[in-house]
Amino acid sequence: MPADVETAAREQFSAVLTRDVAPASLDLDADMAGSYALTSLNKVLFLTELCEATGVDLAHFTEEDLAEMRTLRDVTEALGRHAAPASAPTSNHGA
Amino acid sequence: MTGDTLGRLFTGGPAPGHIAVASLLGTQSIPLAELVVRAERVAQRLLAQGVRPGDRIGILAANSLEWVLLDLAALRLKAETAGLEPGKFEASRALMDRYAITLLFTDRPADAPGIVPMAEVAAWAAPDGAAEPLPVLPPPPDWAAGDVTTVKFTSGSTGEPKGLGATAGSIDSSLLAVQEIFEHGPGDDLFVFLPLSLLQQRYWVYSALLNGHDVTVSTYEAAFAALRRARPTVVMGVPAFFETAKRQIEARLRRAGGDRTLAEEAQAVFGDRIRYLWTGSAPAAPSMLGFFADAGLPIYEGYGLNETCIVTKNHPKAHRDGSVGQVLRGKHVLIDADGVVSVRSDHPVNDHYIYAKPGDSERIFGPDGTVRTGDLGYLDDDGFLFIRGRADDVIVLDNGKKVVVRPIEELMKADPAIAECVLFCPGQTDLVAVVSPAAEAADLGAVAARLAATNAAVAADERISRVVVADPPFSIGNGLLTSQYKPKRQQILAAYHDAVHDPEEGIHAR
Repeated sequence: MPADVETAAREQFSAVLTRDVAPASLDLDADMAGSYALTSLNKVLFLTELCEATGVDLAHFTEEDLAEMRTLRDVTEALGRHAAPASAPTSNHGA
Repeated sequence: MTGDTLGRLFTGGPAPGHIAVASLLGTQSIPLAELVVRAERVAQRLLAQGVRPGDRIGILAANSLEWVLLDLAALRLKAETAGLEPGKFEASRALMDRYAITLLFTDRPADAPGIVPMAEVAAWAAPDGAAEPLPVLPPPPDWAAGDVTTVKFTSGSTGEPKGLGATAGSIDSSLLAVQEIFEHGPGDDLFVFLPLSLLQQRYWVYSALLNGHDVTVSTYEAAFAALRRARPTVVMGVPAFFETAKRQIEARLRRAGGDRTLAEEAQAVFGDRIRYLWTGSAPAAPSMLGFFADAGLPIYEGYGLNETCIVTKNHPKAHRDGSVGQVLRGKHVLIDADGVVSVRSDHPVNDHYIYAKPGDSERIFGPDGTVRTGDLGYLDDDGFLFIRGRADDVIVLDNGKKVVVRPIEELMKADPAIAECVLFCPGQTDLVAVVSPAAEAADLGAVAARLAATNAAVAADERISRVVVADPPFSIGNGLLTSQYKPKRQQILAAYHDAVHDPEEGIHAR
């Protein structure tokens, strides 16, 4: 998986959590809902923002694909298959 | 009776607007006139499948155009719908038998007699999809006020969901009352992403057909992405959605580092055409409501239960901070001596549950359909309703003073260092708070400062004597939050029983 996808995933995930958890201390294999109290709406927001930040079209995924992403590693691997290896856009202001 | 609303869906002539349906794959848009044509084709197919007036079809699927078509087709035939939320129900023959469903439409994997894939509905709606001539539809039906159009299911915390048949009169009354205050019309685009199994979400499709505005229906998962594409004028959401959007806007502002304004970032999330944001169904935090007002996006909170439909609503012409708005036409708010709110409707949603345990209906419904809400509230001199909490959130002190805990808990939770606050009264004399910190490493100084600020803002009997800081914070995993992220009071008290009852423990008020 491209390293920038994991970095962006950690940052975006940390940003949507209701409590402070540093991006670097997130466990990639922890259940996002059970361990980090990620609500279903925050998950939708997290994935929308992450796709925008990494330049991955959300339309690569179905609603069922999203439901099956339970850990950060599931997310980074899924996006990694579609992310450009370098020069992915990082701006969040283009929406 | 419903000649201005349900009775006019199929007789009012072509509406000028469009319906857009958004999923992660993209958005498809068709004119509302075409929506009606397709719904009538689906109605013909239902008729051909043996569905008759009064029969019930079930829909267990994510939001989609086919969901809307089935709902309208059922209305066209005067059949009932049962809106079943995916995740809460499994598509099966047992489900059909339990709820007397003639045909069950689903987008879930299922195979049993009477279960129809949603994909088949798309084919039914196509212009030349039928191999044989289809039956001719009868004239559009007349709806009497007491006719049931759909069954809603209430999400009780335990046991099987109860059913509640929604009457045509209640839908008619609500659609007219909402239109009177919001005046939706051409140029508006109402954005819906909550499940269509919730009847109120379908109101906005009916409203589009009746009032000629656009409506965008999104899947839950595509909500944020679709918002950016749709540029709606109105967004329908629960407070949790707007809390999430608030955090998104705040994160964007931080990343922008002062180069962007709050209004610009809010527009980046909601689009640049917002007329107002609609919220209700659960209490909204004043901090969230104030945030969107500051961002230039008016947000209007209302009040209602499944059993009452929309009772009160703030709106552009009558809005008061802290209230849930004035009472809608056709609704009557009654407040008893204990401050408990009941609601009487000219056209009640119903006067009983179905598929419920004995006694369930009697606990909520009076003989005339008046609903005992269990909420505490009061009306001000101008008729604005203020909800103070649940009747079972009241603590009675030994001096007889009743303390409503929710407003005090909200004051504590307004601090960014505090994620949750639950009040207890171990000795019937003083209040003890258990606070769940926002960070793993609790900011004890901020909690102490918030305790002092809260005590300065409340009456003497409402002051908190001590704060016990939860370690670790409440979570679903440790059993102290519900799956809806609400604190579980009894479990929290059990977990922190010793600290709550030990006068030496915690941060003490000064």
